[in-house]
Amino acid sequence: MFYSRTLAAKRLTTHTIEFPYTRTLGPVNSAFLTGLRDGQLLGIKSRDGRVLCPPTEWDPTTGEGLDVELVDVGPGGVVTTWAWVVEPTRKHPLDHPFAFALIQLDGADTGLMHAVDAGSIDNMQTGMRVTARWKSERIGHITDVEAFVPEATL
Amino acid sequence: MTDAKQDDAKQDEAVDPNAPVVGMDYFMQLEYQEQLCPVVREFADALMEKRLIGHKCPRCGLVYTPPRGYCPICTVQTTKADEIELTTRGIVTNYTVVTPVQYYGQEATEPFAKVSLQLDGGGNLSLQDMPNVPVGQVHPGMRVEVIWAPDAERNVDDITNRSWGSAEGAIRGWKPTGEPDAPIDEYSDKGF
Repeated sequence: MFYSRTLAAKRLTTHTIEFPYTRTLGPVNSAFLTGLRDGQLLGIKSRDGRVLCPPTEWDPTTGEGLDVELVDVGPGGVVTTWAWVVEPTRKHPLDHPFAFALIQLDGADTGLMHAVDAGSIDNMQTGMRVTARWKSERIGHITDVEAFVPEATL
Repeated sequence: MTDAKQDDAKQDEAVDPNAPVVGMDYFMQLEYQEQLCPVVREFADALMEKRLIGHKCPRCGLVYTPPRGYCPICTVQTTKADEIELTTRGIVTNYTVVTPVQYYGQEATEPFAKVSLQLDGGGNLSLQDMPNVPVGQVHPGMRVEVIWAPDAERNVDDITNRSWGSAEGAIRGWKPTGEPDAPIDEYSDKGF
């Protein structure tokens, strides 16, 4: 749909184009999101035995299809890299400053990108341990994990 | 994901909370701002003063409202010097009845008419409303006059650089004057 509004004083028009749609997930993402809904973090085993989280349908090294063999990972993990968001936009997962981070969950060999709700940039450090803070009502979406939080604060 | 989308998902979940999650809702949204171009801005400012303005082509005499800043037929520029004030009475030249389909974002539920108008003294408006006339009674030739929005409510929020004269925040619509219909010669073949 399309709509617009004008800010009277400046005669600025704001145009908004919206396009809601649904995509199918395929076997691996479906299992991953079903796990999130059930409060479970899952990774997939690659051909060389590594555990990938988020799981992929294909082996990242060889491109071969992977068997849907999922293993539990997390809910704790290690921040391998991060960026502090000073002014979140309305589309960001949190409405106050937070970090986007790659989190290598316990039992996984790759990083999951998610938000870390650390309160302050001073509480952020590469290598810090974090753990998932789940939403109480989950729908099968990556935002079922509201954010990761420093383990020390628990 | 919007609250509405999450509500949908929750409803699905209520059907079978243990069914695998097989789809993912996306809500793509693109928002951008632009400033009204000068001629449209003047049109909007005039509406706030309950005035309708247009530009009269200095060569062919056709009147454009909202003003465009040019006559596309003569390919000449029109400026503030070509601005004229239009009357707020006119003749219905044509109409379309829209039967709403309940797609996402559609707020109307009942059929409604959008009319094209030829203003007395020149100027054409399209996409206008006739809020107090039953849809079945709208017809070409009707003589109508403007219904301005009340002072406190008047706004030009829905006017954009690509507006064609629809300004529901300022013009609530048009009402019949009660005069006899205009003869067809008065409005036939004069719109565009």
